[in-house]
Amino acid sequence: MGSAVPLQLHSIGRGAMRLSISRAYLAAPHRVRPSRSICSSSSKPRIPLFLRPPNYSATLTDLQKWHDWAKTLSSSVGSSFVDADNGPDSALLHRELKWLVEDAVEDKSISSELRTNSEQNHEHNLRNVRLKVGIEELYRLWKQRIHERRPFQYIVGCEHWRDLILSVEGVLIPRPETEVLVDLVAEVVSDNEALREGFWVDLGTGSGAIAIAICRVLEGRGRVIATDLSPTALTVAGYNVQRYGLQELIELRQGSWYKPLRDVVGKLSGIISNPPYIPSDNIVGLQAEVGKHEPRVALDGGTNGMDELIHLCDEAAVMLKPGGFFAFETNGEDQSKYLVKYVEDNHRGRLCDLKIVSDFAGIPRFITGFLNEPL
Amino acid sequence: MSSFALGKRLCNRVYALFRNSNHRGVLISRRRLFTELQCSSATPQNYVLFNCGVSDFKNISGFPFSTLRLFSTQVAIEPSTADGLTVEGIIGNRWTILEESESDWRSHAAAIAQSIHLIKKRLQWKKLMMRLELLSVELNKADLWDDPAHAGKISREHGSIMGKIKEMKAFERELLEHIDMIKLAREENDAELESESLNALLSMRRNSKEKELEALLAGENDSCSCYIEVQAGAGGTESMDWAAMVMQMYIMWAQRHGFKVTVMEEMPGEIAGIKRATIKLDGEYAFGYAKAEVGVHRLVRISPFDSNKRRHTSFAAVAVIPISGDASTHVQINEADLRIERFRSGGAGGQSVNTTDSAVRIVHIPTGITATCQNERSQHQNKASAMAVLQSRLNQLEMARQAQMNAQHTQSLSDITWGNQIRSYVLHPYQMVKDLRTNYEVSDPDSVLEGDLDSFILNYLSTSLDKD
Repeated sequence: MGSAVPLQLHSIGRGAMRLSISRAYLAAPHRVRPSRSICSSSSKPRIPLFLRPPNYSATLTDLQKWHDWAKTLSSSVGSSFVDADNGPDSALLHRELKWLVEDAVEDKSISSELRTNSEQNHEHNLRNVRLKVGIEELYRLWKQRIHERRPFQYIVGCEHWRDLILSVEGVLIPRPETEVLVDLVAEVVSDNEALREGFWVDLGTGSGAIAIAICRVLEGRGRVIATDLSPTALTVAGYNVQRYGLQELIELRQGSWYKPLRDVVGKLSGIISNPPYIPSDNIVGLQAEVGKHEPRVALDGGTNGMDELIHLCDEAAVMLKPGGFFAFETNGEDQSKYLVKYVEDNHRGRLCDLKIVSDFAGIPRFITGFLNEPL
Repeated sequence: MSSFALGKRLCNRVYALFRNSNHRGVLISRRRLFTELQCSSATPQNYVLFNCGVSDFKNISGFPFSTLRLFSTQVAIEPSTADGLTVEGIIGNRWTILEESESDWRSHAAAIAQSIHLIKKRLQWKKLMMRLELLSVELNKADLWDDPAHAGKISREHGSIMGKIKEMKAFERELLEHIDMIKLAREENDAELESESLNALLSMRRNSKEKELEALLAGENDSCSCYIEVQAGAGGTESMDWAAMVMQMYIMWAQRHGFKVTVMEEMPGEIAGIKRATIKLDGEYAFGYAKAEVGVHRLVRISPFDSNKRRHTSFAAVAVIPISGDASTHVQINEADLRIERFRSGGAGGQSVNTTDSAVRIVHIPTGITATCQNERSQHQNKASAMAVLQSRLNQLEMARQAQMNAQHTQSLSDITWGNQIRSYVLHPYQMVKDLRTNYEVSDPDSVLEGDLDSFILNYLSTSLDKD
């Protein structure tokens, strides 16, 4: 992303970040009438912890007590979660606790005090610390984290993903692996500037992570349509889109995969998706944070996990404009290889330049390709 | 009173006024003055010595004559008072230096002269002059701008050295002018002028102490931010605990200085402490100070990890890397040379796993240099931070290659031999922290371990620069 990004960060209000876009980019080349558009959501997700006003307080002593308790609780986990289902170990839980403190206190320097000076003088410890959540709630939250294995991102109400902080309430928590999908788009549009324009879609957008990140990569020149079947997801995505001030550039539509996109058939510059791809039988054995808490509809990809991926590939051949790009996340090597073979067998001559791209852990994770341009 | 002395006195007063007014105004008037002077057929000697008559002053419409001396950009000219006294001369006179409170101009002058001498030594004055000459030759080459990057670097360095030299020269001249004024005031029995000039000397004397300190941090990268890396020596948990104590010491020291501290990577020990960690200090002169800490730190204590309560000696190595903005040591990293890894991989990954662990390790394949970051909450940010660390490590390598004389401060952890001890911290049987390079010691290890390091650092910096 070497060229200048026309987005500027402004700090407003209580440290909330907002993106403002220079006017020039707001004029879309040609507007498309949405079939079923969600303009603004009536119900809003809960505000992420770090954005809430510091309406609570506790003495440093009480906060320290909670912190010591939470630390002991995390330590008691040892490697038992790792052994059970490849869950978090104590070290990771300690780090999460540190982040929870960072999000929950107003004065960030407190978190280092909690770690270093447990034996300060009495007077100092009676000092009041301003909090964004009550101390009882902190106890409740950490119990949920350890005893119920509630994902940390649901505890603090947000996920740090790429350079974004996203509300993730009730939706699939975007994974670090998926960050690479955005790098792939950045690479493609820097090779072919024309692709920056036109329509990009994020299918099954969930929190809106991919849509927002891609929109920023497009530098205001293209438009993004994000679809999802779940109204909850669209509410959360709408909140996140608004928080980054991209509502003029990202359109949210309710519906399954390509269904709400009848008006842009054959016009898409790019199709990106992280669809559910876990084989149904594997759902039971998943890490508790995932299996017990995240929406199944965002995970379960049918018998072999490929139901949605195959549908996405089939339709991509119809939906993309010539030269258009697609990138999908898969469950790993088997699915990636299978998909490449499937596309080669069924869409030969249409979808081309197929590639399998690995994630940072070295697992073949993504399949990418283009719609052939007519000679 | 001779007309000459009157004129000189007048001009110095006006000059003093000007020095206090805003600088732009002074600059403009100096320039104007310069042209006017050229019109008024002043000879070059006029610039340097007070040997012109009052008639010339009238032509310059009341502008102070002594400011003319500031035009002499020829650094070779040794400034002196009207009666030929130079800064070296003042030092040669061996005037007794008394307390600041004693109103003795000779004492002030001697103290200031001594400071000037020290500052020049710290700036490595002779080397600086030689370097300037070399750069001037380079700058005068006709084909200089064939390589704009090189030309830019040369002219920047030339400008920076010229700046330092001019500042010193101006300081010297100011000293000599005040001495002139005092002598004049005595001649004229002008008590007011004498006390004014004496006060000016006193404030110069105080100012010179600050300049001495500044000169300690005049190295090329001294003003940069930096990374500090700490690695535990052999000896298992006891050493790892010591490494964590050393890291904590730097974190607290940095916080006192108002540096922003970020933990970049941390490999915790199995039972306690750290195997290795990297922190980043953001702030002016972070590297200038921290570079004094490079080497091996030794701890002697009763180990809390030894059930038999025996005395243990542990070691921790410290490396400091400047985060340099210098383009000439900025290594271009080729993306294809990098291997990026999730630090803790394993399992299916993707949707099946929800982990907040997004640590990233980047390997620079040609050099084998790696960088890790796990402190950030997203993989993207961890990668960006790790890239920054990697960039600095590669730059450091380049810097060491470019300048062997810098090698001492740009050693990486792997280059530091365990024999290279710089400081001992003894908690038992007695209490002492001793710097083995300067022999500076204190008997309160607790305060040192809480970050009270400045006296050690300043002692080392001045010792290493002030030795002949």
